[in-house]
Amino acid sequence: MREITLSQAVNEALAEEMRRDETVFIIGEDVAEAGTPFKILSGLVEEFGTDRVVDTPISEPGFMGLAVGAAMTGTRPVVDLMFGDFIYLIMDQLCNQAAKTHYMSGGKMSAPLVLRTNMGATRRSAAQHSQSLHALVAHIPGLKVAMPSSAYEAKGLMKTAIRDNNPVVIFEDKLMYNDKAPVPDEEFLIPFGEANVKRAGSDITLIGTSSMVQVCEAAAEILAKEGIEAEVIDPRTIVPLDEETLIASAKKTSRVIVVDEGHQSYGITGEIAGRINEKAFYHLDAPVLRMGAMDVPVPFSPALEDITVPTPEGVAENARKLMSGEMIHAA
Amino acid sequence: MVKTKTNTEDYLRMYRQMMRIRSFEDNANQLYLSAKMPGLTHMYSGEEAVAVGICEALKVTDKITSTHRGHGHCVAKGANFKEMFCELLGKEQGYCRGKGGSMHIADQSNGNLGANAIVGGSMGIATGSAFTAKLLGKDDVTVCFFGDGATAQGLMYEVMNMAALWNLPVIYACENNGYSEYTKTEEIAAGSITARAEAFGIEAHQIDGQDVLAVNELTQKLVARARKGEGPFFMELMTYRYHGHHVGDINREYYRSKEEEKEWKENRDPIIKFRSWLVEQGIASEDEIEAMNAEIKKDAEEAVAYAEAAPYPDQSEVDMHVFTDVKHALA
Amino acid sequence: MPHEVIMPALGMTQDTGKIVSWLKSTGDPVKAGDALFEVETDKAVMEVESPAAGYLTDVQAEAGADVPVGQVIALVSETAESSDTVEKATADTGGGDETLLPKGKAVIMPALGMAQDTGVIVAWHKGLGDQVAAGDILFEVETDKATMEVEAGVDGFVAALLAEVSEEAPVGDTIAIISAEAPTHPVQRSISDGGAPKPAATPDSAPKAEAKKVPKPAPAPKPGGKAPAVNSPIKPSGGSILASPKARRLALEQGLDLNRLVKAGHPQPFHVADLEVLKAMPVQAVEAAVSHSRRLTANLLTDGFAEFAEWAAENANLNDASALLAGLVAASLGHDKATIAVESFGQSRVYNVPVGAFSNITKTEEDTAPDLILRDLRMSRVSTVRLGAENAPVLTLTTAKGGVCITLECAGHHLSASKSVSLLSEFASRMEQPLRHLL
Repeated sequence: MREITLSQAVNEALAEEMRRDETVFIIGEDVAEAGTPFKILSGLVEEFGTDRVVDTPISEPGFMGLAVGAAMTGTRPVVDLMFGDFIYLIMDQLCNQAAKTHYMSGGKMSAPLVLRTNMGATRRSAAQHSQSLHALVAHIPGLKVAMPSSAYEAKGLMKTAIRDNNPVVIFEDKLMYNDKAPVPDEEFLIPFGEANVKRAGSDITLIGTSSMVQVCEAAAEILAKEGIEAEVIDPRTIVPLDEETLIASAKKTSRVIVVDEGHQSYGITGEIAGRINEKAFYHLDAPVLRMGAMDVPVPFSPALEDITVPTPEGVAENARKLMSGEMIHAA
Repeated sequence: MVKTKTNTEDYLRMYRQMMRIRSFEDNANQLYLSAKMPGLTHMYSGEEAVAVGICEALKVTDKITSTHRGHGHCVAKGANFKEMFCELLGKEQGYCRGKGGSMHIADQSNGNLGANAIVGGSMGIATGSAFTAKLLGKDDVTVCFFGDGATAQGLMYEVMNMAALWNLPVIYACENNGYSEYTKTEEIAAGSITARAEAFGIEAHQIDGQDVLAVNELTQKLVARARKGEGPFFMELMTYRYHGHHVGDINREYYRSKEEEKEWKENRDPIIKFRSWLVEQGIASEDEIEAMNAEIKKDAEEAVAYAEAAPYPDQSEVDMHVFTDVKHALA
Repeated sequence: MPHEVIMPALGMTQDTGKIVSWLKSTGDPVKAGDALFEVETDKAVMEVESPAAGYLTDVQAEAGADVPVGQVIALVSETAESSDTVEKATADTGGGDETLLPKGKAVIMPALGMAQDTGVIVAWHKGLGDQVAAGDILFEVETDKATMEVEAGVDGFVAALLAEVSEEAPVGDTIAIISAEAPTHPVQRSISDGGAPKPAATPDSAPKAEAKKVPKPAPAPKPGGKAPAVNSPIKPSGGSILASPKARRLALEQGLDLNRLVKAGHPQPFHVADLEVLKAMPVQAVEAAVSHSRRLTANLLTDGFAEFAEWAAENANLNDASALLAGLVAASLGHDKATIAVESFGQSRVYNVPVGAFSNITKTEEDTAPDLILRDLRMSRVSTVRLGAENAPVLTLTTAKGGVCITLECAGHHLSASKSVSLLSEFASRMEQPLRHLL
C-alpha cells in the first residue's frame, strides 16, 4: 500500500469531500493561497476557488460564529483553527452555540460543521502554541471529538466528520503532519466510536490517544523484550468513546495505563480510568494509571518541554510496576 | 399616500401583529408574576413596531436571529400562540419541546434561527446564514436583531468586517431601547452607534422604531438591495422597553424615571399611534379595531389555558436531541 | 369577573414576599397601574401595581405577613362588595415550624451493644394513640449484632413516634413519647425530615426549584469494620487484607482463604499471582464441623446479688461488683482459673479469676480474649436477648418480674449440651443465693 503523510491525508479527505458535496467549504486564516502555515491545504484553492476556500481576517470568534450560522442554514463548513490554543477564543460560538443548537431547538435545528485544529507539545512553541485542549470540548455535550493517530485515521475520520450532522472537533498532532503511514488509494471512512486494537497482548492494556498511540506502541516493544505482552488500543474518537472495547481489554489483562497528551488533572486519562474502574473493577489486579501531560504550562526550553509529556520509557516503567504488583504511590 | 386594497391588508396585518405581540407579553407577564412560569423572561412590550415593521418586509424563507427579548421577533416572524405559550411553560408541544424556554423560543419553520441568551451571541450565526445564501446562490436575506447593549461585544465588529468584505445579504438591526440591562446606553456606548457600521463601509440608518410604517418602508428597500448583493446594511431603531430588563425588575427608578416611562407609553406608543393613523385614513373603524383586539385577547387567553393544561415532556426526553444521530445520548 | 391580586415572583431566588404596607384599603376604587401595596423581597422593597381597574376587595393578608409567591392576596372587583371567593391566605407568620411535642415520658433508643452508636427501628408494635402497659413490647430494634424487642417501660398512651421504621436513631435520642392521658395532638415524625412535622401538601405550581428540596437521605449505616490502613505495604494479621479486586473475586469464587496467605507471612497487597502460592500451600485440617449455637434461659424469682455485693463490701472490703460477678461465673464454670469479661453500662472489664478467694480476682487487659462474657442488662429495658453465638459463651442478665432472667448463648463447640446446662444451673443458683455457695 502507498504511504502518505498525515498532512496529505487531510488534504485528500477535504478534496474528496468537497468534490462529492458542493455545500462543503473551508474557512479560516490563511487557508487559501497560503494553505496554512503547515501547508496542509496547498492546492485546494486552485481546485475549488476562493468561494469555497475562504481566507478570513484574524477573527476566530467571528469566523467560528459565521460557520455555525452557515451550518444551520444548509452548508457544511470546515473551520480551520490555526492552533488548538486559540480554542479559548471561540468557546462561546463552539460550546454555547454550535453544541446546543440541536438540543435547545428540541431537535429542529442542527449545526453540521467540522472544526479542524491541532494539539501537541515538543515543537518548541511555548505555552500558547503547544497545548492539547481536547478535554475542554469533550466535556461539552453535543460535540463529537476525534483524535487521529496516523495518516490513515486522519483521512478516514475527517471524511466521516464532514458527513456527520453534528459539530465535530478534530485534533491533529502538529508534530505528525510529516509522518507517513499506509493509506489505501480507494475511498474509505472510519466510523466514530470504534476503537482500534493496534497490538494484541494479554498482560497489560495501554490506551493511547493521538501521538500517544505511538508512545504506547514503542513502550509495548520495550516490554515485549522483557516478556510482558502489552495490548495497545487507540480509541480514535473520545466522543463517542468505544467503551466496550476498552472495558473488554481491561477485563482481559486486568491492568491498564491510559496515556494522553492533555494535562493529567481532570483530563481524558481520568475519564477513561474512571469508566474502567466503574465497569471492570472486579477484574482489575492493579490500579488503573493515568499518564497525561504535566500540570504545568508548556515551557519553551527543550530541556524542560521534553519532560512534560509521557514517553515510551515512562510508560514501560509504570507497566513494570503494575506487573510486579508493586504498590503504586504507597506512602 | 395612495391606498390600495393590498396595502389595506398589509396595514391591518401590521396592526394585528403588533397587537398580538402586546397581548402575548401581557399574558406572559401575568404567567410569570403568578409563579406559573418558571425561569427568567424579558418583555418586548413597547418595541412592537421594530419586529413587525421588519418582519413584514421579509419572506418566510428569509432568516432572522433573535435575542433573549425574543417573543416579539418570534410572533412577528409568524409563530403561533399555542406552541409559544407551551414553550414558555416548558411543555412538550412547545416549539423547542420545552428545552429552550423563553430565552430560546423560535418557530424554526418560519426562518427563525433561534433566540440567543448570550448578548450578541447570534451575530456570527446571522452572518453565517447570509454566507450560506451567497455560497449557494439563494436570494435569502438574514436580519440580525440585537440590542444596544450588544454593540459592546467584539464579535459584532469581527462579523461586520467580514460581511462588508464579502457583501453578504445581512441586515444588522440594532434595537436601541435606551438601556443596556440596568444601565443607560449613553453610559456604555461611546460615540455614535451607526458610525460603528459606517467605519466598515456599511450603509447605516437611524430610524424611529415606534413608527411601524417608517420601519417597514426602510426595511423593504434595504432587503431588496441586499437580495441584489448590495448588502450588508445597518439599522439603528430608536425604541423603548416598557418593562424592566426582565420581569421582576420593578424598582428601576435608580436608572430611569417613571415620568420618562409615562411619556413613551402615552405619547409614543407604536400601537396607539398606528391605530389613530388607521382610523384617520379610514382603513379601519374604531369598532373594527376593538373587535380585532378582543379576538386577539381571546386567542391569547385560550392559548394560555391550552398551554397550562398541556403535558410536560416525558422524562425520557432528557437525553434526546443531544446528537442528531443518537436517539438517547446516555442510553 | 374580579381580577386576582397575586404576590408576584420578583427576584430570581424568591419564594415569599412580605407585605410592608397596603397603599389602598378594602373598597377603594383603583385604576390599572395604581400601586396597591409595597412588598419586601430578598432584594428590596417595591410597589406592586393593580392588574386592572375596579375596587380593591377581599384583602387576605395584612401588612407584615409573609406570603408565598403566586398566592392570591386580594381581588380587584367590579363593585366594592366582597365576593368571598378567596380562601383565607395562610400567611406564614414564622416560627410555626416548632410544633410542641406532647408531654409525657420519653422513650430513648437504648444502648444495647458495646460498640453501638445507633439502632435501627425494625418495627413499631404500637401505633400512635394506642394505650400501652409498661411490659408491652413497644418496638423492635436492630443493632450491629441482632434484633431485639424493647418494652414500653411505663403505662400510658403513645403520644409521639419520632422515628420511622428502618430509620437509624442515635443511642440516647428520644424516639417516642408515652403520655399519661390519651393524647389530643399525637405527633408523628421521621428522623430523615429532621424531626420536623411533615409539611402539608403544597399546591401544584411550576416546578421551579424542586431540585433544591430533595429530602435528605437517611444516614447510611456505619460500616462495621475498621478502615484499612492503605499506607502500610505490609499489614499485620488480624486487620483487613490488602488485595486487588480481581484477586478477591477469584479467591471468593474458588473458595480460597486469603487469611492463610497472611498467616504465612506472604507480602501484601495480594494479586492474582499470589493465589497460585495460596493454592500450593498444604491443605489444613478441616475446621471443626459447623457448630450450631445453643441458647438456654433461667428465670429467678429473686435476685440475691445486690444483697451479696453489699455484704462483700462491708465485710470483705470487696467494692467491685463486676469482679464479684466474674467470680460467680468462674466458680460456675469450675475451671482452675478463668478469664471473664463483664459488660455493663456499655463498658467492658476483663478479670483473671483464680481458684479461691474473691480477693485474688484481678483486672486485666481489655483486649484479652475471655473464656466467657457476662453481659449485665438489668438496668436496660431489654427483656429478651437472642444475639447468637459470639467468640466465647455469653451469659446475659435481664430483669424479669421482680427477679432476674439469665440467658446463656454459645456456639456448639464452646460447651457441650450437658456442660452448658450445668453452667447455667450453677450460675443461676449462685445468683439466687450467692452467700450460701460461698460458705
